[in-house]
Amino acid sequence: MSLLLLIPLLPLIGFLINGIGFRKIPKTLVGLIGAGTVVASFACVLFLFLNFDGQPRVEKVYDWITVGNLNLSFSFQLDQLSLLFMLIITGVGSLIHLYSIGYMKHDEGFGKFFAFLNLFIFFMLLLVMGSNYVILFIGWEGVGLCSYLLIGFWNKNANYGDAARKAFIMNRIGDLGYLLAVFLILTNFGSVEFTDVFRQAAGLKAGNSTILWITLLLFVGAMGKSAQIPLYTWLPDAMAGPTPVSALIHAATMVTAGIYMIVRSNLLYTLAPVTLEVVGWIGLATALLGASIGLFQNDIKKILAYSTVSQLGYMFMGLGVAAYTPAAFHVMTHAFFKALLFLGAGSVIHAMSNEQDIRNMGGLRKALPITFLTFLIGTIAIAGIPPFAGFFSKDEILLHVFEHNKLMWGIGVFTSMLTSFYMFRLLFLVFFGNFRGTHEQQHHLHESPLTMTLPLMALALLSAIGGFFNVPEVLGGGAKLANFLAPLFAAAQNVRPEAFAMAELSHSTELALMIGSVAVAMIGLAAAYVIFISRKTVPVGEGQEHGLQKVIYHKYYVDELYDAVFVRPVNALSVFFHQVIDFLLIDLLVEGVGKFVKGLSKEFRLAQTGATGFYIFAMVIGIAALLAWSLRGLILG
Amino acid sequence: MNTNYLPSDYLPIVVQLLAALGFIVGSMLVSHNIGPKRHSKKKDDPFECGIPTEGDARTPISVKYFLVAILFVLFDVEIIFLYPWAVNFLDWMKESREMAIAIFVEMILFMGLLLVGFYYIIRKGVLNWNQ
Amino acid sequence: MLSIISLSLFGILNLFLGFLKSRRVLLPATLLFIALAFAANLLDWNHQYVYFRDMLRTNNLFINFSSIILLTTFLTVAISRSFGTDEEHTHPAEYYAIMLFSVVGALMMVGFENLIMLFIGLEILSVSLYVLTGSDKRSLRSNEAALKYFLMGSFATGIFLFGIALVYGATGSFNLSAIGSYVSGGPTTGISPLLYVGLLFILAGMLFKVSAAPFHFWTPDVYDGAPTLFTAFMSTVVKTAGFAALYRLLTVSFTGVYGLWWQVLTGVTVLTLLVGNITAVYQSSVKRMLAYSSVSHAGYLLIAVAAKTPQSPSAILFYSLAYSIATITGFAVLILVAEQKPIEGRPDERYEAFNGLAKRNPLLAFSLAVSMVSLAGIPLTAGFWGKFFVFSTAVDRGMTNMGMVLVVAVLMSVVGVYYYFRVIIASYLKTGDSEPIGIRPLYRFILVLTTALTIGLGLFPDVVRQLF
Repeated sequence: MSLLLLIPLLPLIGFLINGIGFRKIPKTLVGLIGAGTVVASFACVLFLFLNFDGQPRVEKVYDWITVGNLNLSFSFQLDQLSLLFMLIITGVGSLIHLYSIGYMKHDEGFGKFFAFLNLFIFFMLLLVMGSNYVILFIGWEGVGLCSYLLIGFWNKNANYGDAARKAFIMNRIGDLGYLLAVFLILTNFGSVEFTDVFRQAAGLKAGNSTILWITLLLFVGAMGKSAQIPLYTWLPDAMAGPTPVSALIHAATMVTAGIYMIVRSNLLYTLAPVTLEVVGWIGLATALLGASIGLFQNDIKKILAYSTVSQLGYMFMGLGVAAYTPAAFHVMTHAFFKALLFLGAGSVIHAMSNEQDIRNMGGLRKALPITFLTFLIGTIAIAGIPPFAGFFSKDEILLHVFEHNKLMWGIGVFTSMLTSFYMFRLLFLVFFGNFRGTHEQQHHLHESPLTMTLPLMALALLSAIGGFFNVPEVLGGGAKLANFLAPLFAAAQNVRPEAFAMAELSHSTELALMIGSVAVAMIGLAAAYVIFISRKTVPVGEGQEHGLQKVIYHKYYVDELYDAVFVRPVNALSVFFHQVIDFLLIDLLVEGVGKFVKGLSKEFRLAQTGATGFYIFAMVIGIAALLAWSLRGLILG
Repeated sequence: MNTNYLPSDYLPIVVQLLAALGFIVGSMLVSHNIGPKRHSKKKDDPFECGIPTEGDARTPISVKYFLVAILFVLFDVEIIFLYPWAVNFLDWMKESREMAIAIFVEMILFMGLLLVGFYYIIRKGVLNWNQ
Repeated sequence: MLSIISLSLFGILNLFLGFLKSRRVLLPATLLFIALAFAANLLDWNHQYVYFRDMLRTNNLFINFSSIILLTTFLTVAISRSFGTDEEHTHPAEYYAIMLFSVVGALMMVGFENLIMLFIGLEILSVSLYVLTGSDKRSLRSNEAALKYFLMGSFATGIFLFGIALVYGATGSFNLSAIGSYVSGGPTTGISPLLYVGLLFILAGMLFKVSAAPFHFWTPDVYDGAPTLFTAFMSTVVKTAGFAALYRLLTVSFTGVYGLWWQVLTGVTVLTLLVGNITAVYQSSVKRMLAYSSVSHAGYLLIAVAAKTPQSPSAILFYSLAYSIATITGFAVLILVAEQKPIEGRPDERYEAFNGLAKRNPLLAFSLAVSMVSLAGIPLTAGFWGKFFVFSTAVDRGMTNMGMVLVVAVLMSVVGVYYYFRVIIASYLKTGDSEPIGIRPLYRFILVLTTALTIGLGLFPDVVRQLF
């Protein structure tokens, strides 16, 4: 079998070994197996990447189900997009596995944790490697399951369990949309294989209503998985899981599955301009909403979570203006710096003995020099200050948005300022100023072990240079990633060239836009500096916020709104069903049928007398009846 | 072979059937009726004398009898199989030598299996009466 | 063909192995023999051979069916336990040998090309089973079951043989294809009525063997009385072989009179489904419930035979495989659970014996649950696809012909869920003994294997189906 098969197989093997034997295998070996399989799989991906000849290929493992005309094959697709995502997943995944060895060292569920993590990598790889919508869906559901298991990893805490359930249910709503879309695809194209579907769809006109529905429903799936309005509320709660999980699943990989899926279906989306518009605006709204909530949060992981929501919104905004390459590029850089930030936060939490409130931190840069430096790099990267990774990818999205709609661009730039502000707020409050925690915590402060700092440094390096993979031409770069990914969009470009048409912006405009967005980021930085360093402001305590701040601190009361609009009516309906419908239908009708069958059974049973004579008599009667019935024509003439 | 039989062709069979049935029924009826019968109270009594019966009329017989009987039937039937084979063997010999050898080998195999069975029975101690 | 010869020789060899002092060698030796026969069986893959002047025919269908039979035999032997240590009353070598011989009969039934071969195969199989049913010599119920089975079986055999004689009378041949060419328009004088009667008699005999209603009455009593191990053997091997033979006979020889036997089979199918499923509901013993379940599965399999589409053989194969594996698992768990707390010296086979099984041994409870779910035909298990393929053959045949059968079958599947889930509910939701149940490694391996197969086939049915 080929290397391609080995890539998802290795983490699966790791899962099986750790999952079955986690009670017996010593911790060091668990860590070795858990991280080793992912690293090995990364090596395979790297090898494939280096030997990739630019020709996409589909490798069939076997025919999975053949029923009637439906032929589902279990096959993997190797092309530019899947390679890019495989690199991110296994690369960042390896680092986070390594980090977890140190982070989870003292946890009793060490083996279980690694088993779940490996399972997650397996499903995530399945998601991006599958060559049809069904394999993608298996991965899609699988990562949802792993996310559920890992959010509720510390299952002794009931709140964490609730958070896990919330994530699962929100995702299920999205999955319904995805499933409906797959059914639509199946009925309309007779196949779920990417190549078949896109080949047939290429012949359709833009604005086709079927395509519109398919893309909208697929986007509903993406909303759930990638935390977009209105299904985003699970992601901040998902921070209940261990920090490496937040870094891997809820920042770097799983939540970008929606973006992957849309980029994969770019042909369909290009054919549905209306959907693209919807995607763009929802992305923008999510970006703004996430950034604004991030302004006043005090939990270090919650801030990063809202920042993730906001950044995902950015990516969708990019997709909405058909900027598929920049969106994928942003997925990559975001994976680097957000994983870095989460792992840095983990390191801080580790040092602070599980303290997550930034009001109780401060001045940590002396105690945690490596964490501080890497966190700083991450912050600069996400704020969009050149030459770090975030600048290039974010700017490219904004550039395309500018082309498309000036209002959208304006809000996008404003959001970028908010991002810069809350990220530096976080940085300043945590690492500068005076220590505000307890004496005990101060005493305990220490830099994290090498297994934790090593991934931090690697990710910091990537966050610093990650942008150079795709330097735009105006800055003298070769736009390597864009060229690499270009074949993916060739078909889409063919069917609707105008979606991709860029009015040739003059280099000066382009440069002006860049300088503008950098300036905006700097404003955010300056504002944060003034407030939190010069004035040494510390956010007020719980319940003392006022006005708009209070509304934002409580996340615009969206959770409460959902509770009132959806949860309570459903509960009421459920009570109604339980008390009225259940009684009338189930008790009278269903149980009646059951009782009838049971009564019948009691009668039938009596035929079994136990007397051989009777049995043979029954047989003879049976034969006679058969003869009489079958040969009635002969007998009666 | 003539395959077009008329119903009248089956007449001999019917005649034979009737004769067989008639003989049985007839002889039973005749013996029942022509024999002398003297009824008396004592004669119609089920007991001949007052001494109680000793044991069951159906005394259990050692299972060995049945085993030996069954084994006898088994091997006997196999021996019967040898007769038609032996009778035809000369004709096969004349027809084709190879075929005759093949058939001979088959019979050796058959007898070999029988012998194996026979050996099994002896080892199992079925023929050992004292056990 | 090699498998038939080798199994016969291995059976004899097994008899002589019984003279060895140590009985330990018997079980592994028998397993080895079956594995060898399995391998020998596969040698003819993709070849067609006819043996002994058109007596036997081997092709891929033969190999598929016999592989299923050998696999189920292997599993059954693997969960046997040399039948105790009592020197006087247990004869493991003989039982294993008889099992091997009966498999020879089953294989002959699968590969027959001549009605005489079918008869001989059927008799080898049946006579072996009469003996195995009564193998628990000191149990009155076992003896009663054996005698009942023997009496009724002989009766059915008589009718079956009579049917063969009548068919011979009509066609002048025992050969399947010769009969086939007679039936599909050979004679100018029209088909002799003798053939119809003969066919119906043969059908009655075969339907008896696969325990279809109204010829099923022996099944619950015999299955209940026989030692559970042999019940498992009977309910799987006989069913597979019986349906292989039935399908072969009806399609090769009697396609010409499809209109006649289709009616008979649909009627019998509906009756079998009703009787099997509905009677199973009221049983209090799991073993008896499984006996009725075996009757009901005969009904589902009959659908595929009656539909007679090109997909039928693969549907029958898949169904037999799924059914056999799940049934063996079910009986294997039953054996272990029932012997824990005997009631009056007899294993406790009531539903109550399963109470709290999940706590006593999670593996047993899980395997049992999977096998029951598979038998009930719920997705993600092999049983679901079995039912699915069978039903789809009926749909292919057309709703006007098979609609009624399909409706009954679907309704009865729902009834099936009721009694299969009773066991699962008992083992997971009720509380009972808390004493853990130990399993030997081989037993555990077989349980894990069958459970994995059931789930595996449920997830990837095409892996096996490509072979069919």
